[in-house]
Amino acid sequence: MKRILQKLIVAAALRLVHAALVELCKLDPYVHAQFCSLPNGTSYSIYTGHGAPVLHVRWDGQKLLRLKEVRERATCELHLKSLADSFLMFTGQIGLAQGYARHAFSMQGEIADVMRLARLVNRAEAYLFPSFLSRRILPELPSLPVPSLRLYGHLIFGFLTRSYS
Amino acid sequence: MTPAYFEYQNAVKILCGQNALDRIPDELRQWGASRPMVLTDAVLMKLGLAELVVDLIRAEGCPPASIFTDIPVDSSLGVVNRVAAVFREHNCDSIIAVGGGSVIDSAKGVRLVLSQETDDILSLSGVENISAGRHVPFIVVPTTAGTGSECTGVAVIRNEAQGVKMEFLSPFVEPDAAVLDARMTLKLPARATASTGIDALCHAIEAASCLQKNPLSDAHATAAISLIFQNLLHVVQHPSDSAARLQMALAATLAGIAFSNSMVGGVHAIGHALGGVCHVPHADVMAILLPHVMHFNLPRARDSYASLLPHMIGMDAASSVPEEERAQAMVNAVSHLTEHLHRLAGLHLRLSDLGVKEEDMERVAETALNDGALIVNPVALDRERVLDLLHRAY
Repeated sequence: MKRILQKLIVAAALRLVHAALVELCKLDPYVHAQFCSLPNGTSYSIYTGHGAPVLHVRWDGQKLLRLKEVRERATCELHLKSLADSFLMFTGQIGLAQGYARHAFSMQGEIADVMRLARLVNRAEAYLFPSFLSRRILPELPSLPVPSLRLYGHLIFGFLTRSYS
Repeated sequence: MTPAYFEYQNAVKILCGQNALDRIPDELRQWGASRPMVLTDAVLMKLGLAELVVDLIRAEGCPPASIFTDIPVDSSLGVVNRVAAVFREHNCDSIIAVGGGSVIDSAKGVRLVLSQETDDILSLSGVENISAGRHVPFIVVPTTAGTGSECTGVAVIRNEAQGVKMEFLSPFVEPDAAVLDARMTLKLPARATASTGIDALCHAIEAASCLQKNPLSDAHATAAISLIFQNLLHVVQHPSDSAARLQMALAATLAGIAFSNSMVGGVHAIGHALGGVCHVPHADVMAILLPHVMHFNLPRARDSYASLLPHMIGMDAASSVPEEERAQAMVNAVSHLTEHLHRLAGLHLRLSDLGVKEEDMERVAETALNDGALIVNPVALDRERVLDLLHRAY
């Protein structure tokens, strides 16, 4: 039962991170610039454990697309070593840096691509989590050009209009 | 404080001390190997150091099946793939790397290519992403006391196409044995002795202050720091002191084990970028950047730095420093050491001395942001902060 609940929460968190990055690409110039520095077609796959949810995304030059399935290996694959690790990371109990320090994931591809993703996910977490939580998991709180509430507004509208499928 | 979770690994057998080199053939025999490939560089061949190893293993009935002497100072993915092909052509069954960081990391790459039965090391890039594969016996003989690569699970190899240094992190990168023999470092010039010694110090300090630090890596790091502060100045002034040379070799190995289990940090992230973009020697860059990055990290690394002070200046001297001043005193001790080495051995203290151009700084900063070592630096580093550090070190 606990594992099923963890899978559901991790699946929801993966969708939220993807949706947040899609919106932040429009709202936050830093995130937009980071995405624009990626070669078109750069793809990421995040595996969260055996039989656990997976997120496949691809940057098409305009938008971060979520893919239902992939035919070839992503530019960069992150494999979280267990669902328990994924749960800790996607519920804001540990950040990416702590996850790295705990050997919580392995990675296939170039480390530079993980670093690019890490900067984006850290930024998204700074918006999504309340500051007392972000302060615990991020090396430093960035100054955000857009209030978190505005992002949440966009996310609610986006989910209602099924913009992230 | 013990972290909530940590991992520690060191599977390298260490052969350390008098006549350690002479044990190499027996080590190979224990692994069932008899046709080693010796990897080294032209300078070490010229100095007779590689020859010393070759002669010893030949005399013990284990002649090399191939000797590759063309590893460049700043090795690359292409070199690794080429050497792996030579290994196969000559039907070698084991690797002996004789050299500094470039030779050792190239040899690690070759071993990876062979054990994973591929032709291109680039296909293996990643973190903890490969399985054990075929075992290729692998012995390392370091000829500097700095890199620590003889005991680490990481290979840093230049991607010439992208102008970046790539990291290959896996426990299967670790050699089977490391041979620490003072004969291999006795001819090291004073400046190289100084810069590689500071490289080892940098490994230890970053290992003991980064976000991935743990009690076991701390134990190795602090032992390394003590040995370096006890021996580095002495060995620069008395280069033929075998006992001190061996202590420095041991310090470098200890620091290597430390950072292999806790990573490094900002000094290495920026240093790798400078190496990739400007082709400057790794150890020289470490020596220049270390005091600047430590000063920058000080607010977040205060406790770690303070705890290292006794290992540098001794317990009695450290206890006479007020507690709140110990972290700064530790940073000062490192600066004084590098300045002393500058006076004694010409250790470089500015990036401009290495020929780094100001116009390259932007590219170096961008490259540094994508280096894996940055993720565990105690203070977040962005483009502006990296640029600021580069200008301070210029």
